[in-house]
Amino acid sequence: MSVASPPRLRPAPLRVLTAVPLCDGHDSAIVTINLELARHGAEVIYLGYHQAASAIARAAVQEDVHAVGLSSYNGGHRVFFREVRAQLRARGAADIPIFGGGGGTITAADARVMQRSGVDRIFFAGTPLAEMTRAITGDYARELRPDAKLRGDRALARAITLAESRSGLRPDPRKTARQRTRSASFVVGVAGPGGAGKSTLIDELAARFLRARRSRRLAILANDPSHPETRGAILGDRVSALYAQDERVFFRSLATRGSLTGLSAAAPAAIEILRRRGGFDLIFVESVGVGQESDPFRVFRQGEKLVDAVLFVLPPHYGGRIQLQKIALLDGADLVVLNKCDDPRASAAKAELGARLAANGRNQLLHTTIAAQHRDPGTDALCAAIGRLAGLESAGGEKPCHLCIGA
Amino acid sequence: MNPLGQIVSAVDAYNAHVASEVRRARVDKKFAAGLRARWKKISSAIETTHSPTGTPLPRLALPATDEPGAIAGYLLGQGLPGEFPFANAAYREMYLDRGERVGPALAAGPSESRKAARRPAAARPLNSAPAAEEPTRLFAGLGLAEDTNARFHYLARHQPSTRLSTAFDGPTLYGLDSDHEGVLGKVGEGGVALDTVEDMERLYAGFDLLAPNASVSMTINGPAPAILAMFIAAAKRRFGPDGVARLRGTIQADILKEVQAQNEILFPVDASLRFLGDMIAWSTAHLPRFYPISISGYHIAEAGATPVQQAAFTLSNGFAYVELLRARGLDVNAFGPRLSFFLDCGLDVEYLVLGRVCRRLWAIAMRDVFGASPRAQAFKLHTQTSGRSLIAAGFKNNLTRTAVELLVAYLNASNSCHSNSADEPFTTPTEEYARLASHAQAILLEESGLFKHTMDFLAGSPGLLALERTVERAILDVFREIDSLGGVLPAMEHRYQRSKIQEAAHRYEQQINSGERPVIGLNRHVGASLADARAAPVPLARTPPRRQRFQVERLRAFKKKNAPRAPEALQRLESVTRAGGNVFAELLNTVEVCSLGQITACLTSVVGKYRPMV
Ligand code: B12
Ligand SMILES: Nc1nc2c(ncn2[C@@H]2O[C@H](COP(=O)(O)OP(=O)(O)OP(=O)(O)O)[C@@H](O)[C@H]2O)c(=O)[nH]1
Ligand SMILES: [Mg+2]
Repeated sequence: MSVASPPRLRPAPLRVLTAVPLCDGHDSAIVTINLELARHGAEVIYLGYHQAASAIARAAVQEDVHAVGLSSYNGGHRVFFREVRAQLRARGAADIPIFGGGGGTITAADARVMQRSGVDRIFFAGTPLAEMTRAITGDYARELRPDAKLRGDRALARAITLAESRSGLRPDPRKTARQRTRSASFVVGVAGPGGAGKSTLIDELAARFLRARRSRRLAILANDPSHPETRGAILGDRVSALYAQDERVFFRSLATRGSLTGLSAAAPAAIEILRRRGGFDLIFVESVGVGQESDPFRVFRQGEKLVDAVLFVLPPHYGGRIQLQKIALLDGADLVVLNKCDDPRASAAKAELGARLAANGRNQLLHTTIAAQHRDPGTDALCAAIGRLAGLESAGGEKPCHLCIGA
Repeated sequence: MNPLGQIVSAVDAYNAHVASEVRRARVDKKFAAGLRARWKKISSAIETTHSPTGTPLPRLALPATDEPGAIAGYLLGQGLPGEFPFANAAYREMYLDRGERVGPALAAGPSESRKAARRPAAARPLNSAPAAEEPTRLFAGLGLAEDTNARFHYLARHQPSTRLSTAFDGPTLYGLDSDHEGVLGKVGEGGVALDTVEDMERLYAGFDLLAPNASVSMTINGPAPAILAMFIAAAKRRFGPDGVARLRGTIQADILKEVQAQNEILFPVDASLRFLGDMIAWSTAHLPRFYPISISGYHIAEAGATPVQQAAFTLSNGFAYVELLRARGLDVNAFGPRLSFFLDCGLDVEYLVLGRVCRRLWAIAMRDVFGASPRAQAFKLHTQTSGRSLIAAGFKNNLTRTAVELLVAYLNASNSCHSNSADEPFTTPTEEYARLASHAQAILLEESGLFKHTMDFLAGSPGLLALERTVERAILDVFREIDSLGGVLPAMEHRYQRSKIQEAAHRYEQQINSGERPVIGLNRHVGASLADARAAPVPLARTPPRRQRFQVERLRAFKKKNAPRAPEALQRLESVTRAGGNVFAELLNTVEVCSLGQITACLTSVVGKYRPMV
């Protein structure tokens, strides 16, 4: 991998992971801080409230962040921050600084103890917002370089970071040719309008995968928009991931950084990296919730497909027949999912959608799901269908796909 | 399923009705004469009382008018205290002194009303004077059950009646056991650690919970059904099964605001609402003196919402519960009087009228949309002063902030109040500041004459009325917005309430940052106050690791002791949950042998986990 990169106009933005500790739901301060940091150009990967130290450290590694920011109010901060520190160290990430706050509940005496256990900085009650953003954006941004000593997820994450900072540059054709040897990963691109249920479905599919394939891993690449002016972004897909918070999942959030395709310009390289060195059975790529005319996963580079299958998710209230005609992805998708079938409009939508797909004559599969429902049978069936496409089923299979054994 | 559109129309219709009655009063002689006669009767029935300096005062202040339009506007638009639409108060006399009075009584004489107070709530006459009990509440919870119990005994020493308002620690709020991985440091922090029915016995030991002047309040939501079941099981152990019907208290159990603001929901929304419904159905039948839900705006406001948002989201959540309970086949007149509300009171000017506007909107909707009787129309309001307005810098100023907020809360005729301690930014209240906070209430209600002699001293001033109209309109606008999203639940799925609250919180902090919102000691008159923000100038209530380990040990002993019986109990809970039975009724058995964490895990295995949102 070459280190030298041609001059860039702007340095890569600061990436920070923020979270609230286990058994703590005080998220008002951190949500405001997320907004402020993003407004000042940072990419904030938000993990949410009530988060375990292990989940925080795992996310920090996979997201390859510059620093971790914690907001703690319900006490026990001395112990908790120390635990995050230890978890980071155990994952070869002792270099990631931790900062945080918790209003008046974290005192100066606490802060001294916490600093001795490796916490970088505590922002006390009354610290002006402007001072905090200045300190964070000023102190923690630095260039993340290739590092041969990194191992496991950390190495993988760094490779993606480097791909992100090189993105926008044309890929070297000789290199891509060399890297074409592909692992067995099956890549599913997931697209659909904002709020259709893409993230929920991916998480539910991940749950089924993890249950059925006890020692295998999967990866998720979640794309979210950057703000066009500030360049900042709040990458919040991890917040609602229940099952994908697992050691066997590599989860990475990508900000689009100005790309208008629905994917980060680095997504192709990131997919390539995951295929090549990840050892993942399945890779889900969630696009930004996109409009009707675009297809983020369309054919690219010399006729080669970016993903192995495209899954298009639609809610029942897509707006009627006329709209359906215009949706480009309905032609390109391998799997079409009508989600939110608990909505009374679902049956009408299903009929319309079925007719629209039949007219395509492409043998596309229409699935109906209620992703938000625990153990939804429709999602089981979708999972089985993906398993079949991916060839993950045991051979000779009249048997139900073992990807979707309900537990 | 979504009544908000109808409610907006009902309020518009009621306001139009008031306006037309006012006009009619001005032209229709007969109507005007009737109004005048009624007015005269009301006025002459008002008793006279005396201030300590001898000044005679009416026990109720009415607008000084004889003009029929104004009379109609008052009687219909605001209503006498305790009368529809309840703008002035849910009850007739609120905190007035029961002492010396002159003149005929309006409804019941003093001796009668004192008798009424001793009757159980259900038997009390329609919205008459409430039980003669002081409205002060103090929230406590720290360390293990014994520690909180000791604090309760300390607080109760200073109060004529027993009000045990309980805060739980983080693990309990999230339905986890104290031995759950990674939670040890949080055990007993910010509230009491409670794992089992045995902890529940320890928590309220030494209090006669069946006494008519005793009540318990439990601030818990996601795990509320299991916790209430433990409470009942512990009470059965102590007072026998017959005592249960006499238990008095409130459990918060408001799941919708957890999704919107406080973030303590454990199960998916539909499952959580089902468990809540099971609990309310059971308690409506078996706990006639218990409030099984406290519909809360406090957390919404503390998370950063504006006063208008607080009122609009809380009321709309309340209507959603009414709709859900009716859909279960419950009678609005059976559960309606058991609904109670909990609002925040901060320093923004809108708070001057928030309680008044909420009472009015609730009453109109309950009467005209849900067909509820007067007892179910009254919006019973518990108020807490704002914690978020209390800051670390120059923290003693928090005494003043709380006092001002408390005044505003009582001006809103709150039925009960909790006043925060000045050390709020740092720690669970220390005894000194908890005492000062409770004394602030005593100074306001007992020492000062503001609320003792005359009902509605300040109500109905031109400024307040103007503000009321504006705030009411703004709340209706939010109702319309939620309605256009399909109602409370669909709006929640779109993160509507959350994103509005988060925007408001961000704006609030930006305003402090820019100085647009003055905060004394922080961005004005700063002086040396910033030092407080680091030093925590009060002793901190922290649970020593030794006590935390002790809790874990006794929990393990409980689990070991019950290991032979727990699996079967959990199995039964699981099958009742699957079969759609009343989960709460079964929990009453489960808690005898299972811990909170075991119960949460069992229910999760059936219904799944709540999926959080940003
Ligand atoms: C708002 C609030 C709530 C709201 C939270 C809404 C929400 N979604 O966030 C509600 C009402 C729901 C709530 C509930 C509870 N609360 Co509360 N709450 C507060 C309160 C009033 C303010 C906290 C706040 O958000 N302030 C606004 C922020 C922006 O300002 P700040 O705190 O000064 O923080 C500054 C810096 O520290 C910095 N900062 C903070 N975090 C971070 C993180 C990073 C990365 C950075 C860079 C900076 C930074 O930013 C600020 C800028 O100046 C405090 C008391 C107080 N006045 O501070 C209690 C307080 C934190 N709560 C407390 C408790 C106990 C609870 C409950 C457990 C009560 C109970 N038993 O039921 C529950 C638990 C809720 C839960 N799910 O965990 C206790 C904690 C006690 C302790 N640790 O010993 C406190 C201290 C009150 C008290 N004295 O009892 N609470
Ligand atoms: N009623 C219902 N709600 C669902 C269903 N699936 C998802 N949701 C809800 O829809 C909302 C959006 O779901 P997400 O999974 O975040 O949707 P998304 O497509 O990833 O959204 P973006 O990434 O923002 O484009 C959430 O509140 C989900 O809980 C479903 O089957 N039924
Ligand atoms: Mg998504």
